[in-house]
Amino acid sequence: MNFLRAVFARLERLPRGGVFSLLLVMLPSAGTVLAADSPGAATASPAVLEFVPPVAGTYELQRIMAATDGRVLDINGNTHDLSEFTGGKVTLLSFIYSSCADASGCPYAYVVFHQMQTRLERNPRLAGRVRLVSLSFDPKRDTPEVLALYAGDNAKAGRPVEWKFLTTGSVRELLPILNAFGQDVFLDMDPATGKHRGTYSHVLKIFLIDRARTVREIYTTAYLMPDMVYNDILTLLLEEGLKLE
Amino acid sequence: MFNSKSGFLLPKIRTVALSVVMALGATALPATTQADETSCSPFTPLIMGQEEFVYVWTLGVEGVGDGSDKLVTVDVNPKSKTFGKVIASLSVGGRNEAHHVGLSDDRRYLWGGGLDTSHIFIFDVHTDPAKPKLVKVVKDFVEKSGGIVGPHTFYATPGRMIITGLSNNKDHGGVTAHVVYNNKGEFVNTVHIPTTEMNGVKGDGYNYDVAINPKKNVMLSTSFTGWNNYMMDLGKMVKDPEAMKRFGNTSVMWDYKTMKPIKVFSTPGAPLEARWSWNKGDNWAVTTTALTSNIWVFAQDMQGEWQAHNVGTIGNPADIPLPVDISITNDGKGLWINTFMDGTSRFWDFSDRMHPKELYKKKIGSQVNMVSQSYDGKRVYYTSSLLGNWDKKGADDEQYLKMFYWDGKELKEGFSLDFYKEKLGRAHHMKFQVRDMSKLKPLHAANTGLDSLSLVMRETADK
Repeated sequence: MNFLRAVFARLERLPRGGVFSLLLVMLPSAGTVLAADSPGAATASPAVLEFVPPVAGTYELQRIMAATDGRVLDINGNTHDLSEFTGGKVTLLSFIYSSCADASGCPYAYVVFHQMQTRLERNPRLAGRVRLVSLSFDPKRDTPEVLALYAGDNAKAGRPVEWKFLTTGSVRELLPILNAFGQDVFLDMDPATGKHRGTYSHVLKIFLIDRARTVREIYTTAYLMPDMVYNDILTLLLEEGLKLE
Repeated sequence: MFNSKSGFLLPKIRTVALSVVMALGATALPATTQADETSCSPFTPLIMGQEEFVYVWTLGVEGVGDGSDKLVTVDVNPKSKTFGKVIASLSVGGRNEAHHVGLSDDRRYLWGGGLDTSHIFIFDVHTDPAKPKLVKVVKDFVEKSGGIVGPHTFYATPGRMIITGLSNNKDHGGVTAHVVYNNKGEFVNTVHIPTTEMNGVKGDGYNYDVAINPKKNVMLSTSFTGWNNYMMDLGKMVKDPEAMKRFGNTSVMWDYKTMKPIKVFSTPGAPLEARWSWNKGDNWAVTTTALTSNIWVFAQDMQGEWQAHNVGTIGNPADIPLPVDISITNDGKGLWINTFMDGTSRFWDFSDRMHPKELYKKKIGSQVNMVSQSYDGKRVYYTSSLLGNWDKKGADDEQYLKMFYWDGKELKEGFSLDFYKEKLGRAHHMKFQVRDMSKLKPLHAANTGLDSLSLVMRETADK
């Protein structure tokens, strides 16, 4: 099967607007994926995660560290404490920037988050218990207005699983947050001019935070399977005493 | 990470772009592409190009220099005027039985352990990679871990460090645990090595090294010996039959996610370093046993169950060549194996991992312990010290860092540093570093990002 055709077909079923227009631009560069799906590459082993995630509730997630606080802006330009968006619910948080085109970076996180939102919303018992947060590390360009466009319908108020898109007022406010979470971000520099190319290098990290604001898992590109994330979320909810059935 | 002044928050910054450049430590230097060495955690950004610095965690020796353990920085950039020279030496004060070091998952910090004191030293290696800075000393390892002694391997996972203990504070034997700390140097939890029977093999509770395969969600651990033995004089120990019984004889496959053991394997004779092949599509690991000179390969059978296979013998086991460190090529097709007693490094062809063959060997020195190769395998670095009380005596106690160029057929010396002449001490574990880390990516992120995205897109449609 032609991978790109399949992806485009599936994208048709996803909501319009937001980052999906970016994904459509980005995916044609995924030539290696196309090659891997071609008959000639049939013997190549898949590079995706190759295991069945442990059953939710059969294991305990480590208490890694406290989720830090800081000042952030929502898509309406209102100022908040980040802790408003990391406590009281199980939270998935990732650092992104809206113009990221690195397939293993922000677009990947976006697709995973979208899947989580859709999947979690199918179970009414989970309504209001889980939150997604995408926090920009490009405050200069990712203004609240730009993030609102990036978010599209995902950030609509009243959804059973809320998805918050946040930015900061300045790099000065952003850096302590990045520092505390351990999220590396590097400016891509043009060696000829020494100027910023406008893109960033970073290793994707997604933080799973419990309702008490403790980071319980950190996923990276090397270890990010939606089924596993889903089970980890359920594990934290079961720990809180939620009955799933 | 440890405080806001350690490299992130700088005052009086005017423009967003400039502030990010400065505060995040990025420089205007040309990008040096990607980089790495195959023993790193799959979560740590790798150096696939030219390494610029080698850090050597060095044991202090009474009467040599200040006599203290130290982190030695050697310039290995071939374009540098100080190529092959010591450019920094950071003493930590006192002797701790310095042993292994490990890079954090962001490659900004280097953790080094002391097997005797159980102290852990955390160095900042990103603010100025040419001149590391000691930023924290963890002294609560034994207390916080519930009595675990001898922090050995430092293996990065996202936001954390898995630290293998070698011993305990009750009998100083080999029954011990993995201990997890977060990147701030705070205790997270302790995971004991199994001592009960699993799959017909009784766990001995011993520990040494770990290596993770995230694609399979598994972690392999190996086993060595406790404080009573590793702090004993080697000559005395080998004459003590009871002491010689107290070595690890097992390896354990773990569910990495849950940190629960899946299976215990009988791998007699102290299996030491654990490595996974990072070749795309490979899912096997390898270790060697110090006392029995065997090579073990771990792979899944047709039913998906992990099995251990004894696939080779190193040298003449009757001579106890003492296989110590190993280094696997990035394609999983070759393995360097050092044998301490004859000071020899051996290159094994692993094209057929179930039937590997020794292709080449070279005497590196009177004794040799650690081996680290550049990601492309073209440069191979060696150090000499095994343990303070196990190293050879007299003239045979050579202490060095040596670099060789490897063309696939022969090792040719690039430089050699005498750690006694330099008044440094016993050279033990090495890690590489570069100035510009902005382009470094973990191996799996670089290799599998698009594959992972394709998987998620499929799951998005299916779920």
